[in-house]
Amino acid sequence: MTNVMVNFITNVIPEAAPHFEGYVYPNEATQQPLWSILIVLYPYITGLVAGAFIMASLVRVFKVKALEPVYRLSLLTAFAFLLCAPLPLLCHLGHPERCLEIMMTPHLTSPMAIFGFVYAWYLMAVLLLELWFDYRADFVRWSEITPGFQGVLYRLFTVGVTDVSEPAVKLDHKLGHILSIVGIPSAFLLHGYVGFIFGSVKANPWWGNVLMPIIFIMSAMVSGIALCVFNYMVLSWVRRKPIDMRCLDTMTMYLFYALVVDAAIEGLDWIHRAYSAEEGFAVIQYMAREKLFYTLSLGQVAMGTLCPLLFLGSMQLIRKRVPDFLRRRLYFTSAAFILIGVLAMRWNVVIGGQTFSKSLRGIMSYKMEFAGLEGWFMGAVLFSLPFITLTILIKLFLSEKLPSSNLDANGSPNSPATAGGTRTGLVARAEAPGARM
Amino acid sequence: MKNHLSRRNVLGKLGAVFAGVMAAPVARTAKAAVQKVFVSTTAPKGYDPTKHKWRMALDISKCIGCGLCAEACKKENHVPEGSFFRTWIERYIITKPKPGSGEARGETIVDCPNGGMHGFPEPTVAKEDILHSFFVPKLCNLCEHSPCVQVCPVGATFDAPDGAVLIDPKYCIGCGFCVQACPYGCRFLNPVTKTAEKCTLCYHRITRGLKPACVEVCPTESRVFGDLKNPVADDPLQKFYENNRVQSLKPHLGTEPRVFYAGMDKEVR
Amino acid sequence: MRRFIKMPPQVLRIFLLAVGIVVCYSVARYFLTPESFKQYGWYRGEALAEMANRYEPSFAGRKACDECHSDVVQKLAKHEHKSLSCEGCHGPGQAHSDNPDIKIDIVNFSTCARCHEANPSRPKWHKQINISNHYGGGSKCTECHVPHSPNDVP
Repeated sequence: MTNVMVNFITNVIPEAAPHFEGYVYPNEATQQPLWSILIVLYPYITGLVAGAFIMASLVRVFKVKALEPVYRLSLLTAFAFLLCAPLPLLCHLGHPERCLEIMMTPHLTSPMAIFGFVYAWYLMAVLLLELWFDYRADFVRWSEITPGFQGVLYRLFTVGVTDVSEPAVKLDHKLGHILSIVGIPSAFLLHGYVGFIFGSVKANPWWGNVLMPIIFIMSAMVSGIALCVFNYMVLSWVRRKPIDMRCLDTMTMYLFYALVVDAAIEGLDWIHRAYSAEEGFAVIQYMAREKLFYTLSLGQVAMGTLCPLLFLGSMQLIRKRVPDFLRRRLYFTSAAFILIGVLAMRWNVVIGGQTFSKSLRGIMSYKMEFAGLEGWFMGAVLFSLPFITLTILIKLFLSEKLPSSNLDANGSPNSPATAGGTRTGLVARAEAPGARM
Repeated sequence: MKNHLSRRNVLGKLGAVFAGVMAAPVARTAKAAVQKVFVSTTAPKGYDPTKHKWRMALDISKCIGCGLCAEACKKENHVPEGSFFRTWIERYIITKPKPGSGEARGETIVDCPNGGMHGFPEPTVAKEDILHSFFVPKLCNLCEHSPCVQVCPVGATFDAPDGAVLIDPKYCIGCGFCVQACPYGCRFLNPVTKTAEKCTLCYHRITRGLKPACVEVCPTESRVFGDLKNPVADDPLQKFYENNRVQSLKPHLGTEPRVFYAGMDKEVR
Repeated sequence: MRRFIKMPPQVLRIFLLAVGIVVCYSVARYFLTPESFKQYGWYRGEALAEMANRYEPSFAGRKACDECHSDVVQKLAKHEHKSLSCEGCHGPGQAHSDNPDIKIDIVNFSTCARCHEANPSRPKWHKQINISNHYGGGSKCTECHVPHSPNDVP
């Protein structure tokens, strides 16, 4: 117990002396790992973006009608998190003022060089465009009825295209549909390249393997869907609106199956490592047991994978027998656990890979500092920024006061987002959600 | 429908061409003005990087672990205080196996106190228990297929035509990817300049006909340095390649290091 | 051209916006790429010159010592210490080479101990002694040994 206490206390005291066991290369004997909390946050945030977008594309591309209530919320979530994604990277660079070099002279053999282009493409050509095509008709209407600065803002967002006749709106939906299809491989690229950054480092046996990009993508999908569940439930609670249980049940069904695939692939990674027991396995095993115990065994596996698998899996079997309120609690808990678990997974990959020496003979102990560019405080600030951004976006674009011709995040699926739906000026509260899935 | 060759069309097109021609020198001057921030100091005096191929080789059996090389490198290259080393020496101690254990060797103990900069203290293992012990100087392995160069996102680290692997301190953004990608741990992020740094073969010396500082001060000729494209009489590097069977570090990674070690042991990583 | 302008306004405006962004990017790239980039490869060619001029050497090299101290250098070249560099024992000498008024390091017995202190990790062919047991230990090595010609006695 005192060990845990001492560990906890020294974790928040900066400048604690680094501690090593065995032999580490002199250049590895630094106070802090080179890639710290900021580089843990970046894959986490882009993973959430990719996953939230996949959630949205389930509606558009795979025509899962039950998920329509969260369509716009998913897109806005993806957008809010994407806007904040480059911040951890900028803070981490030794020379952030030279950040444009990555777009001016990208070295095409480096996976990191793709960042500027993939990010710009995904932000502009996929997310912004898809949001625009979905919201354009609403922007036109809202700009007419909203006074003041907000009204001007909406008019700006229409980009001057004010035709809201049926063929124009139909075209909007067709183009949005095409963008959703384009967006799925783009989302995979956005997060897959991050996994490839780690997977391509052959110098590091913890990172450099073929499964890394796939694990990253799968855990991104899981975390993104969990975030949508979380956001939907929180938003409904804040607005005191009833939750569309059919939508929630469908979301968590997809969450469960994504989690199954993710857990299988991560399990495969471990089984393969243990079985083939290559040169680095001894030090990796020691490192995982000693340094990553809390974040791996407890955070990622027990909390982030096994518990949600149990909760969500049982819901797939016995959903009808479980009352709504209990299901909601289980879903919320599972979503929260998964979000923590995937963050733990990013931590384990990034920090774990730097906690053992490339000499394969030593282990380093780092203590996270509280203040400083790579400290707890900065991490907390950077992670709360996307939520603040999302709140602003929701106030602007998912406002309860403004009539939505399309979808509404609070449980009333009306004119569906699929092409061919008719649009009316004001929202008509449609019939209550039908039979359960 | 207007005729394509109407006067207005032709004048318009000619005007566009004229504007383009006038704009080109303006654009070039503008570019030069912007470029001024990137223009650097003088060119090397008469040194042509394409006419040299510098290589280093290490004879383990000759290294006495004095640490003069690590100390000289720190001084010569103004390496920051602390555990940052462009070159360092590791000591390997392989103990005798426990009697009756059926093992060929005991355990391997590796240490590197302060990079080996001030020499090595007495080993913690008693002399009678030591089966083998030796020193291994480490530095940038001058890989043929450098993973560090491969992963640099902006082109700040590169294979110079003359064999050295260098970092452009004015262009490096300090992302640290190259430090992660180097399998030999020879790179670090300089806490002062916030750019990556590593052994440059004392580029500022070899381009002036001097030897790298570590080679200069090595008392036993354990570090062998030379120019493959311009061998001198009795070139020590050529003699090294001719007289020794060599190994390189971590060959399974496919980096093709060009720093060869003679007299190495299997325990060295 | 007419058919182009007849495209639905959504598509046309977005297309024009996209073209605008690409043009801005290309112009920026033209101006912001350093002049000497790609001269030898995917890096600034000027960097080679900058690296060659980055530091002033601190170690002068044996040739520089030979200019003034050729007698010592020749004495050194005859015996076992012939592979030693002057600066290995005497420290960086470029400052002294440029301006002889700047004194170079005085060598003391710890310099000798650096290489000759007995250590089981050192190769067997290397002459090493346990200094604390060697003639009372801590006395000056130069009482009995001549560093520049180790086979002689003072």
